[in-house]
Parts: sequence; structure tokens; C-alpha cells
Amino acid sequence: MLNRRTLLTTSLALGGAAMLPFSRAEAQALQSLQIFVPAAPGGGWDGTGRAIEQVMRAEKIMESFQFEHAPGAGGVVGLPKFMSSKKGQPNAVMVGGMVMVGAIIANKAPLKLTDLPPIARLTGEFEAIVVPAASPFKTMKDLVAAFKADPAKVSWAGGSAGGTDHILAGMIAKAVGVDPKKVAYVAFAGGGPAVAALLGNQVSCGVSGYGEFAEQVKAGKLRVLALSADKRQQGIDAPTLKEEGVDVELFNWRGVFGAPGITKEQQAALIGLFDKLNASAGWKAELAKRDWTGIYLSGDGFGKYIESEVTRITGILKDLGLAS
Amino acid sequence: MTIRPALPELFVGLGVLALAALVGWATAAIPQSTYARISPAAFPWAITAGLAALGALLTIEGLRGGWEHDEGTVLDLPGILWLGTGLAANLLLIDGLSIGETVILPRMGFIIASTILFACTARAFGSRRFLRDLAFGLVLTIVAYIGFDRVLGYQIGSGIIERFL
Amino acid sequence: METLGHLAQGFAVALTPINLMWALIGVAVGTAIGVLPGLGPALTIALLLPITTKVDPTAAFILFAGIYYGAMYGGSTTSILLNTPGESATIVTALEGNRMAKRGRAGAALATAAIGSFVAGTIGTIGITFLAGPVVDFALKFGPADYFSLMVLCFVTVSAVLGNSAVRGLTALFIGMFLGMIGVDNQSGQIRFAFGITELYDGINVIIVAVGLFAIGETLWLAAQPKVRDEVLDIKDSIWMSREDWARSWKPWIRGSLIGFPIGAMPAGGAEIPTFFSYSLEKKLSPKPEEFGHGAIEGVAGPEAANNASAAGVLVPMLALGLPTSATAAIMLSAFQSYGINPGPQLLESNPQLVWGLIASLYVGNVMLLVLNLPLVGLWVKMLKIPAPLLYGGILIFATIGSYGISRSVIDLILLYLIGIMGFFMRKFDFPTAPVIIGMILGPMAETNFRQAMTISNGDWSTFLTRPLSASLLALTLILLLGPKLHMFFRNRNPKPDHVPGDA
Repeated sequence: MLNRRTLLTTSLALGGAAMLPFSRAEAQALQSLQIFVPAAPGGGWDGTGRAIEQVMRAEKIMESFQFEHAPGAGGVVGLPKFMSSKKGQPNAVMVGGMVMVGAIIANKAPLKLTDLPPIARLTGEFEAIVVPAASPFKTMKDLVAAFKADPAKVSWAGGSAGGTDHILAGMIAKAVGVDPKKVAYVAFAGGGPAVAALLGNQVSCGVSGYGEFAEQVKAGKLRVLALSADKRQQGIDAPTLKEEGVDVELFNWRGVFGAPGITKEQQAALIGLFDKLNASAGWKAELAKRDWTGIYLSGDGFGKYIESEVTRITGILKDLGLAS
Repeated sequence: MTIRPALPELFVGLGVLALAALVGWATAAIPQSTYARISPAAFPWAITAGLAALGALLTIEGLRGGWEHDEGTVLDLPGILWLGTGLAANLLLIDGLSIGETVILPRMGFIIASTILFACTARAFGSRRFLRDLAFGLVLTIVAYIGFDRVLGYQIGSGIIERFL
Repeated sequence: METLGHLAQGFAVALTPINLMWALIGVAVGTAIGVLPGLGPALTIALLLPITTKVDPTAAFILFAGIYYGAMYGGSTTSILLNTPGESATIVTALEGNRMAKRGRAGAALATAAIGSFVAGTIGTIGITFLAGPVVDFALKFGPADYFSLMVLCFVTVSAVLGNSAVRGLTALFIGMFLGMIGVDNQSGQIRFAFGITELYDGINVIIVAVGLFAIGETLWLAAQPKVRDEVLDIKDSIWMSREDWARSWKPWIRGSLIGFPIGAMPAGGAEIPTFFSYSLEKKLSPKPEEFGHGAIEGVAGPEAANNASAAGVLVPMLALGLPTSATAAIMLSAFQSYGINPGPQLLESNPQLVWGLIASLYVGNVMLLVLNLPLVGLWVKMLKIPAPLLYGGILIFATIGSYGISRSVIDLILLYLIGIMGFFMRKFDFPTAPVIIGMILGPMAETNFRQAMTISNGDWSTFLTRPLSASLLALTLILLLGPKLHMFFRNRNPKPDHVPGDA
């Protein structure tokens, strides 16, 4: 069963801590970690949070955890809640990622990810471009040729418009010289329905996280044409987009952010925590089990990365007609 | 015999027309992305048209004497007021109310807010034992809170009492 | 037969005492959360995901499957008793079920729902066992154009719930479609009708609308009218189904199952659509159609069977191909991943013990649910004897948990109350409330599929006529629309001898 007792004592301890004078609460700050997930339980960000908890516990990096979920609109609902309710709290982190960068831009949210102290980029998932086994497209070059000839005749299945999959489709279009607005992008509610449309030969190709397709690829029902990774991946018989002459690289990355208003020392303490996590054997095992690529980057390096991502994604969303 | 317009129904018809106007106004504000084969505004325009036509038909029905509906029942004003108070209290207290940085009402949490809702509802339905109802409500909300929040892990709103459980 | 051998092995797994215990915990928890509006199996399983680090995969999936089936059972209870649907798939159940309860027939309604769920769950599980392959092949043939035509058919059949006046019924339907369009448009990424409120970007949860219209609307209605209120308190108590109830229930159970299972297996089919179909079909076939709207038992038996069979159908693409086509299935798949098991087309070969154990546990879970739920009928009916002040106080508390408690957003609570006030006025002016829900579910689905189809076909409208499935569905729609009129026409042309010619 779930460990109720730990859960209960954790909440008690936290409840107590909240009532202590500030200095004492700060002194025991990193006795526990509050993980704020701006999405519903069960999704990718929740999974990242749970994996952090599991490994940190097992590796004795941190004993007690408290989770809070605030789902909605790719994190745009949760972000302001995190910023106001956790202000100055040295032991609070928010899980977030590339999807949130896009959602903030597309939804014209007033708050920015760059307003938060960056802690660490943890994982990345590269995307794959696949076709049904019976498709006439044997290579990415075939697909690109048909796409350039008449973009309207090539339909792309993926997740919600404006999300990672759509962004990648737009980047590919731009890289091969087609107006991203002309991509015949068919948005499905998540990976499952998109894969179903591919298996039923309803669409020309699919673009999504490789994990969504992996098992169908192994079973020979779908064929991978290319990956958005920086290099070839072990165990996947497919070239990168760059190898196929499409100069695009994309990781759907996930990371953690600190609460606004914490001091440099407090930020450094949190970074130290995640440095330890990243160095542990348990984390490496977890990454392998979940098919995540570890692309660890912490502190200022991560901060700079987010800034460059904001610029890049703003550009492509503009090209897609989703940002102004 | 001349047909007299029925005012309440007339208002319903005009209300639906007003809704159609609101939907149309909001539809006009949907940004047009050229990439979509069928514009995201296409179905909303169809709904606007449908609501406008239906609103017009209802207005005409109202002008022609309305339709059969519940009339004659006497509204129990105290009942409505008690229930309204309970709902408003629940809404305002559960999360607290603050404008900007200023806290106007502190965050009371699920147990206090919903206990008040329970007692007010009971009063609205004719119960005269307010204290007993408060006690019932308190027990029910505490049991619900422990069951959902502590056992199943649903976070249903922590406040003043919750942190001592 | 090979399948039977596998199934026997599956039962050997499912019937071990420890796995029986997990199934029992699962169905009990599932029934409890199914009863409560807003709390669904998806969220519950997501919250229980950490359990995967503590128990072995077979046990975890038996638990999760129990929760899933249990929630489908439990969802009908509050629909019938309190007019407060626990799940969106049980909204239709509230239509006739609650009227039955108001006429003092809550026991019979709950019993036909429970037995119908058992029949449908079992038929569905048999379907998973023997027909998973062909059913999934058929389901994958449906493309967006075909789904759109299916929605058109559904729109035409739901005219059965439009109520006394077509104008008022359609107004309700259009209001529902408007509510359904609120939020970020999945196809274009544009925000529609959110009026700058970020909490609305993901749309309004249909359960909030259902609970607002039905439960809050009714509470306001009764609070405003002491006279009606006292009538409601007087509820007769008859516990069991009569011989006539059985006779009127068994065919809807089977028809509902046969509608629900294949639609549930379709990747974009969903659990609500089969309940709409079943409801209108039963209304058409019933020997007493005039009872519909006043508590017809067929209107409970059919849709309840349909929603449980569709729950089984959803498991077909998940187990056969590793495709999650509903929120619950997606979360169950993420549980597979935390075990390092990759669910896919080869799951059956790579983990036969797990899959067959899971399937066998579905049979076991169904029996447990029946045994658990039938005795509870008596207890549930007694709930109606709680004095109204306390009963409605309690309903409002659970409505609060179901709306605010899920998102912890006061916006949801405000919406719930506003929709409740709308429900009050709809009741006052004799507008039916069910079409609001139907419009809210069907409207956006039809729109999405239409736009997907048009993007795929490159703007060519003929795709709806050239695809065989789509064309057949549209033809069926046309027959339903024109059939009765043509029938009349030909009857009038060849009048029976006892009619005076020209009299018609």
C-alpha cells in the first residue's frame, strides 16, 4: 500500500513549518521538497516529479516530499499560482518544460518562465517522424520531396496545435522551404488517437515523441523516417533529420524551476540537490527505464538555454500564425 | 380575443438573442490563422446563427402570448436567500479573497467553507436547528476531507482546520 | 482452443487470494469514486500510480481495472438517486433513472442498472477475450470523416430528448455547443470564448455543467418552492424489479452492450455516444414510448449497459495494440511504463500472464461488483429517507468536492453556481436540460472530426460521400429522417379498404 504514515507526517511537518517564524523555517528549508506540477496527475510533468521523488528517496538525497497540482492550458494556469503562493519559499520547485514555453507564447500569458530562478534541465525526449508500414514514403527524402511538391497532399498527425509536434512540423517545413502555415496538420487529442489514425492509414505521416510510436515500430506497423535528436540513437534504425538534409534539432525537454524571490544561496542549494540526483546511479536507471534522454544542464547555463528556446519557439509560432 | 404578449417569455427570447450577440462578438475576435482548412470560427458562426434564429422564434412566441411553463408558484424568498448566502460563503471562504496583495478574506479551507454551506442549505430547506446542522456539516466535511485528501490523495482545499488533521 | 487455455491460465492468476483481494479493493474504491461527481477513474488511478513501486504489475493492473469497472458501475447510483451524474457517461441514466426514483421506483432503477452493468461488462469482457483482433481492425477503419458522419447520425437520433418544444430543445442544444467550444481550439491552437480567463483555456468540464444543471439547479428550484419540496420528501419504497421490469430490461441490456462495445473500441468513439444511441433506440422500440420522460425502465437499462460495454471496449485497443484511447487508458499505460513494460502490439506475447490475468480479473471484478452492488440497492434507497435539509446540504458538499476539489480553482465553483442558476431558469421556463449536455459533448467532437477530415481531404467535401463507412452512416441518417415520412406517404397513396378514398 501507499505509505500513508510518511504522507501524513510529511504534511504535519509542513503544516507546522508554515507556522514557524521565518528564520527557523528557513534553517530547515531543505529538509523537505515541495514539488509543484502545473498539470494533472498522470501526465509527463507529473511523471518527472514522481521520478524525482522516487530516486531522491531511494538515494537518500531527500526524505520528504509534498506534491501540488494545478492543471490547465500547458502550465499557463499553474505558473501564476506557483509564483504567488510559493514566493520566497526556498524548498519549492516547479516542474516545467518546452511545452510551457510554447503555451506561454501562444496564449499571450503575462508571466514568463524567465522570471523564475532556473534550477536544472533534467530530461529530453526527441521526436520521430513516422509513416504507416504500407506508405509509399521509404525515406525522409521521399516525404520531403512529396511535401515540397504539394504541401496540401501530405497530412501530418500529431498532438494539439501549437504543441511540440506541431512546432516540429513547422520547423521542418521552414527548413525545406515550405511556408509553415501550409502544413496540413491534423491535431489529435494525444499520442494514442494519432497512432490510431496512422495505423488506420488515415494520414500520410505522424510526428510525436518517439515513445508514442516505439512499440508500433518494433511490431513493424509503423516506419521511422527520421528523429529530431542530435545524433543517431542506439537501438533505433533511423537517421537524424540533419542527416536527411533537414537542418532541425528538437528536444521536448523537461526541467525544474525555483520559486521567485529566493536568494542566490537558496537557488544554489536547490541546484546542489539536483546535481546530486543527476550524479546518482538510481537516476540513470530511471532514465533508461522510461526511455528519457538525460540532458542535464543546471543554473545559469539552463537560464541561457531557456532564453534561446523562447526566441526560437516565438519565431516558429509566428511562422505558424500562432503568435504575433 | 386579442393575444397579449407574455413578458417573462419575451425576456427569455431577448436573453437568447443577447447570448447570440455575445457569441457573435466573441467569434469575431477569434484570430484567423490562414493555415486552417476550416477556420476555427466556422462552427462558432454557425452557433451564432442558430442562437439568433432560435432567439427570434422565442421572442415571437413571447409576443404571441408565451408558452406553457411553471407559473403561479410562490417563490420562497428566505429559502433562496439562505441558499444564496451558503453558496456565496463557500465561494468566498474556501480559497479566501484577495485583491492584488491585500487579503480581504483569509483562506478558510474546505472544511469551514463547506460546513457553512451545509448549514445554510439545511436552513433554506426549512431546518430550524442551525447549531445541529453546523455540527453535522462539520463531521461530514472532516470525514470527507480525511477520506479524499489523506487516504486517496485528492487535494480538496486546505485551510485553517485542515492543517491540524 | 488456444484462447480458452490462456484464459484458464489467466484465471489461475486472478483467483489467487492476494489478487482477489486487489480486485475487491479496486471495485470498492472504484464504486466509491464513481458515485461522486467529478472524481473519475483516470484521476484516481493517476493518484495511485506510486503504488507501482510497491506491488507487482499483475496486482497493480488488477487493482486499476477494478477501479475502472467499479467507477462505471458507481456512476449511475447518484444519477438515479440524486439527479447528479457521477460520470459523463451516466448523464443519460439520470434522465429516466431519476424520474423512476421520483415515482418511488429507485430500487428497480438501481437494480436494472446494476444487473445491466453486469451483463454488459460480461459481454464486453467476452468481446475482449475472443474478438479483440477483428474489433480493433474494424475500429481503425474509422477515419475523421466517418466519425463526423457518426456524429451526424447521433445528432439526428437525439431529437428524442428535445422535449415538448423543438425550439426550446434546440436552444438548449445550441447553448451546450457554445459551452463546448470554450477554450483553446485543439485544431488551430486559437483561444475561443475564454474572455481572458486562463482557467477556461482547457474548456469547461462537462461534469461541472451536468452537476450545475441537474443538482444545483434542482436544489435552487426546491429551495425556492416549499410546496414542491414537501412532495419530494414523500418517496415510496419498492426495492426490487417486478416481472414486468425484467421483461422490459433484458433486451435493452443486450442491445446496449452491442452498441457500446464496438463504439468504445473506436479510438474517437467515447463512452457518451453509445448511451445517446441506446437511449433513442430504446425509445423507438419501447412498447410504451409515452413513458419516456416520466421514468421508463428501458431508458435506464439500455444506456447503463451501453456505457459499461464501452468501458470494456476501450480496453481492446489498449490490450491489443497498446493504444490509449481514453484518459484512463493513457494513465494505465503510463503505469505499464513505470514497470519498464512497453505496452504495444507485442504485449500479448511478451507478457501473456499479465494480460490474461487482467482479462480474467475483469470477469471476477464483474461478479464482485454485482455481489457488492445488489445488496447496496436497499441501502442506497434508504438514503432518500434522509431529511431534505441534510440531504441537499450533503449534495452541495459533494458538488463542491467534485468541482473545486479537482482543480482547486474557484473559477470552477463560480461556473458551477452560474450554470446552476441557468438550470433554475431553464426549469422555470420549461427548457429541457439534457440537450445542453448532449450539445456540449457532441458539438466539439463533430467539429473536430469535420475539420480533421477536411484537412486530410485537402478541402474536398466529397470525402464524406466517397468513404464507404461515412456514406453508409449518412444514408442511414437519411433513412431515419425520411423513413417515417415516406412510410406515411405510401400509406396514404394506398389507403386501406376501410378508408374512404381522399379521406386522408
